Amino acid sequence: MKRITSLLLALLILAGCGQSSTQSEALETYGCDVLNVYNWGEYIGSNVISNFEQEYGVRVNYSLFASNEEMYTKLLGGSQYDVLIPSDYMIEKLLDEDMLQPLDKSMITNIDNLYEGVLNKSYDPDNTYSIPYFWGNVGIVYDTTLVDSADVESQGWEVLRNEKYKDMIYMYDSERDSFMIALKALGYSMNTENEDELNEAYEWLSELHNTMNPAYVTDEAIDGLIYGEKAMGVMYSGDAAYILSENENMAYFVPEQGTNIWNDAMVIPSNAACPKLANEFINFILEYEQSYDNSSYVGYSSSNAEVLEEMSSEGGDYYGNNAYFPDLSNPLNEEFHNNESVRKIISELWVKVKNQ
Amino acid sequence: MKSFRRLVYPYMVWAGIFIVIPMLLIVLYAFTREGNSTMTLNFTLDNFIRFFQDEIFIQVLIRSLILAVITTVICILIGYPCAYFIATLKPNSQGVMVLMITLPMWINMLVRTYAWRGILLETGLPEEIKVYIGMVYNFLPFMILQIYTSLSKMDKSLLIAAQDLGCDSRQVFTKVILPLSIPGVISGITLVFLPAVSSFFIPKLLGGGSYVLIGNLIENYFVTTGDWNFGSAISLIMTVVILISMYFTRKFDYDKEAR
Repeated sequence: MKRITSLLLALLILAGCGQSSTQSEALETYGCDVLNVYNWGEYIGSNVISNFEQEYGVRVNYSLFASNEEMYTKLLGGSQYDVLIPSDYMIEKLLDEDMLQPLDKSMITNIDNLYEGVLNKSYDPDNTYSIPYFWGNVGIVYDTTLVDSADVESQGWEVLRNEKYKDMIYMYDSERDSFMIALKALGYSMNTENEDELNEAYEWLSELHNTMNPAYVTDEAIDGLIYGEKAMGVMYSGDAAYILSENENMAYFVPEQGTNIWNDAMVIPSNAACPKLANEFINFILEYEQSYDNSSYVGYSSSNAEVLEEMSSEGGDYYGNNAYFPDLSNPLNEEFHNNESVRKIISELWVKVKNQ
Repeated sequence: MKSFRRLVYPYMVWAGIFIVIPMLLIVLYAFTREGNSTMTLNFTLDNFIRFFQDEIFIQVLIRSLILAVITTVICILIGYPCAYFIATLKPNSQGVMVLMITLPMWINMLVRTYAWRGILLETGLPEEIKVYIGMVYNFLPFMILQIYTSLSKMDKSLLIAAQDLGCDSRQVFTKVILPLSIPGVISGITLVFLPAVSSFFIPKLLGGGSYVLIGNLIENYFVTTGDWNFGSAISLIMTVVILISMYFTRKFDYDKEAR
């Protein structure tokens, strides 16, 4: 219902404008009339792109990726995009390799709309290169009719190795997230470079593999949990929020041992063909209506403070849904940093974990 | 005739750009590793040594081969009787049956596999069975069509001759029909075994990710790890394994014909 209202509202606003700017105007102002946007799959509101196209009289080429690494590979291959929406550690990597250009802050006037919890993160300390899009953490989604809440709350990540729940769990099929869990469960930093700690984490995951018979999946776990294929799974908060809203037996818990606080943010690659329009697009996303459409449709936590507040307060789409507005206060929480050598090690170890 | 030969040039250019050059690149990547800033190419055999020294990689390779072989065998066992049945029908009904078999192939394979995921989700079958169902379902039409083609092209007078010479119906089948349809079975095997050994999304979607095959491994090294050199080495090893198995299948075929 909310979505329809916002659509009508958007249409009204457009109608109020009387006329949308034409293609030639866009060419004059921005030097181009096509914007290439590269984003995650299922990661944008249903009207955001068409709203932008109409308002600015341009065409948007919208392409999708399924992982940061896939996006990076495509970029290395020479593909040209104007706006990318990668995650924190990948932005750090792109910055290290000089592949991004600074944003034009004079065009991004809506920056004040951002929630302060997502600003000035270590991957880009003063947001020179990136503007947060969605954010969240990682936790455990479980079926309260099959899993004892007390077990989850008292054991945290260790509950994934509780043999009571053998054959009932989804692990997230990514070396990064899995090692984060193991390292946090062992009380280490998820950014550790210490090989002994990494090996301990490998042992932790191996034991999980051998005793629990987990399914290693990514997005398949969303439907799997909603329809009850398994009873428990490691989940990104935004997906968890969606699962909780679809199946009322589901609960979300973030272990006290700490988790990954992640940010996906909009950046402009240095080879962008249309940087001016890209800045305009980033500013447009920060508008209340577009952020609302995004968050309401996708279910991930908005970077827009007002949207975040409204969605999670009484009457909002995600009222009472603890996955929607993650708590950032736990000092054990961390953000991922880019480290090539560690990444190679854990990637190799992860293949081994799954093939014992 | 000779003047038509020039028509093959467009394909030669196509094959050169899209088949030969990429293959050469894979070979190049497989035998090199990332160099330093002054030297960007470092020839090495490390990628292959790394593969054969680690029993986990060997296990994955063997598992993929076993999966492909079993899939192919099941496809023959189901596909042959089916193709035989179709070939015995009246011509009109044959057309309808062939249409029924090709019809699902009009829909993208990925979409159909997703549909199977939904169907199998609540059955509680073991992951391995789900993968086999998905594999056989996807590759069976290739087998049926190949065998059907060779059966329907068969000269029917040979069957009558065999009966005239005193074969009973079982002998007609084992002495005439089966040997004559072997080429169809062989090309069916080629069409099923090749994609089966390198398939990665069927096991990924239906096998719950714990079922890692050589295709998944290659994908992992290219997309996630970004180690193109090792990924290329695995691809090359797989190519060689496929070539060897194809050689033996063909050899078996020629031996049969020679007899």
